[in-house]
Amino acid sequence: MITSKIKIPEEELVASLKRNERAAFDYLYDNYSAALYGLISKIIKVEEDAENVMQDSFIKIWRKIGDYDPSKGRLFTWMVNIARNTSIDLIRKNKNVYKEDIDTSITKVDGMMSFQPETSTIDLRDLMENLKPERRELLELVYLQGYTQEDAAEHLKIPLGTAKSRIRTALQDLKSYFAI
Amino acid sequence: MNTNEYIKSGILEDYVLGTASEQERKEVECMSKIYPEIKTELSALEQSIGQYISFYQKTPPAHLKEKIFAQMTFDETPAVETELPGVETEPEISTIKVVPMWSKLAIAASLLLAALSVSLYVSKNKVSEEMAAVKTELEGINAQKAQTDQLLALYGNSQNELVTLKGTEKSPESEVKVFWNKQNNEVALLVDKLPKTDAAHQYQLWTIVDGKPVDMGMIDADFDGKIHTMKTISGNVAAFAITLEKAGGSPSPTLEEMYVMAAV
Repeated sequence: MITSKIKIPEEELVASLKRNERAAFDYLYDNYSAALYGLISKIIKVEEDAENVMQDSFIKIWRKIGDYDPSKGRLFTWMVNIARNTSIDLIRKNKNVYKEDIDTSITKVDGMMSFQPETSTIDLRDLMENLKPERRELLELVYLQGYTQEDAAEHLKIPLGTAKSRIRTALQDLKSYFAI
Repeated sequence: MNTNEYIKSGILEDYVLGTASEQERKEVECMSKIYPEIKTELSALEQSIGQYISFYQKTPPAHLKEKIFAQMTFDETPAVETELPGVETEPEISTIKVVPMWSKLAIAASLLLAALSVSLYVSKNKVSEEMAAVKTELEGINAQKAQTDQLLALYGNSQNELVTLKGTEKSPESEVKVFWNKQNNEVALLVDKLPKTDAAHQYQLWTIVDGKPVDMGMIDADFDGKIHTMKTISGNVAAFAITLEKAGGSPSPTLEEMYVMAAV
């Protein structure tokens, strides 16, 4: 999922991060910052804010690496959650400032897909386009805008059960695609 | 145990999307430790989310890395060199070269023995410490497993209707799950989130039957993660609600103190 020249096994990487070694954090940044920054930029539209959130998130990762428990999930997921929560916190803080932004971005889901994918993600782009728009839209609302499933359902004026099953199917679509 | 029902309930999706409550998160983590199939499903979902995110990859501006790393401090890698100072005593050793070889060997041997015993002692202590830790952890896991088994049984029982009581205006964050067995009208309850109570107060569950509140029993003060067995339902239930009452309960609910409710 992340393109890199040298792959360090996750276990070793985590051990060396927990020892607070610079080389490990260098590696982490070089390999994961694009994924994290991409996610942050997707949530935070103002570039300067996105940079600040990236900065805060990475510092948080560095500070909290001692709390990371590999038995509870992958390192990437853990980092993504930190980046996502930091972004959504900012959105909520500036809710009024961003509100318009969120609303327009929801109606223009297709427009959002014009993010220039790198060559390695071309097939992924196909996949994202194949994800039914209503499923993608929900995923964006919940995952990228921090809506609860209830709020998202209300926003789209669909029953909560429908929202839940659409999200579930969207994730399952992604899952089955990558299981091949 | 029907883990399939659990997987299908959508709670794992909530977990990976970050929309699960604190209680649900703990539950999922616990379940995935116990049941490999839940763990597998969870990893696959995590993977999906990872793919989804990497679709949006964007390299941060080059100056950012330096800016971030300037705020971090690192521990030096304990290099092999740090052990070398011990070797500096070598010159002294050279002054006692007259000492016969056997005594040196004897000293070396006894030093080695001493070092070995220390290391053995240390590792023995460490092993017993670790054993004790493993034992406590195992006890914890067993207790958790008993609870999750019970929870899974509630989820898996097709006669159960899951009613989620949502927070009222008073406490919008609160949430409580009620498992209502439609066959025998037994009711089990799990608090996802409610504010802590003081010693003088306790939460009480009510049903609304024919427009009248009916007491369904009390919720323990240490409700976190506990599965409560409540009173059995009789009559036509229109709603469930929980109010905060004085410890031991009240004959009728204090409506201003309603924390969660759900219509049926």
